[in-house]
Amino acid sequence: MSPLLPAIQALSGHVSLLLLGAGLLLWFWGTWPLLEGGSYLGRLHKLSVSDTLGSALMLLGLLLRIPGQWPLLALALLGLIVWNTIFGYVLASCSLPPPHEPPRERTAPHRSDRSR
Amino acid sequence: MTVLIWGMLLALLIPIAVVCRPCSVWDRMAAFSSIASKVALIMMVVAVIRDDWMLGLVGAISLSAGNSGMLLLANLLREVER
Amino acid sequence: MGFLLSCLLRLLLWYLLTADSSAVNLLIGVALALLLPHAEGPRQPLGPLLRALWQALVAVPQAYGEALALIGGGREQERWLELPASAPSQRLVIFLEVLAITLTPFTLVLGLSRVDGRPIYRIHQLRPMPRHSRTAPKGTTPSSED
Repeated sequence: MSPLLPAIQALSGHVSLLLLGAGLLLWFWGTWPLLEGGSYLGRLHKLSVSDTLGSALMLLGLLLRIPGQWPLLALALLGLIVWNTIFGYVLASCSLPPPHEPPRERTAPHRSDRSR
Repeated sequence: MTVLIWGMLLALLIPIAVVCRPCSVWDRMAAFSSIASKVALIMMVVAVIRDDWMLGLVGAISLSAGNSGMLLLANLLREVER
Repeated sequence: MGFLLSCLLRLLLWYLLTADSSAVNLLIGVALALLLPHAEGPRQPLGPLLRALWQALVAVPQAYGEALALIGGGREQERWLELPASAPSQRLVIFLEVLAITLTPFTLVLGLSRVDGRPIYRIHQLRPMPRHSRTAPKGTTPSSED
């Protein structure tokens, strides 16, 4: 068992670098369209790729590096995914002009369920 | 790891450049939310490199608190624009 | 049942935040989870809630697959879709469904509206163009401009 341990550690170091690099690539790919033109919603789609998924990959890479701190890293991962996704939804639905349907009833799931 | 930090800082410069240009307010909100999560992630990576977990704690808390102020601001702007 | 789930979620958050599994700390966490004010409203049925939770969990690996497809996809096409939603009174289910749909990079929820008395999600979709129709003229793509 003991000769396997350094090998596992070296492997986890390499995998963590790989995850961090992949997250960085997603960051660049998803943030670059902000500089270009194009539809606002399309840019939001790509920003969700970079900020949610890329950052989650980076957090996984950090988790391989410091496994002793897993509770806080798990909390950060959960918070990152939930908050960024909900913020993308709020930005998309708020940036649109209001829907021109005759019954103006706002049944959208507003923040009433954020009380958890 | 140093290369990684430089790359992350370069990626952080992109939304900052977007904010510095004249653009619509919604573009600006998206860029600011991107800045927020990127800065928190950079904080945690720096914490791992310098082996100083207090810094990482700040990053983790700011990630889990999220940009809830921006969320309220977006709702407020929508109501104002209406 | 919704009460128990929210207590469990709060206990989990407390444990992750304090990173301390001693009995005293867990007792404080249980007391906080019970004492903090709970959301009011109609009772939330458990079955749809668990199904929505499972969908939100499955959406994470699916989101990475869609991100790869979007990166390697080349030209993109945008569409507006409408999908049926759950009843708006089940707020937790709606929240989880919005989370699962928005997490995947192809789709983005724009809002919840009502058509013929049934709740639907208005969804914006961005996906790479299928290869066989890439040379097709632009008007034939099925896009409904809202």
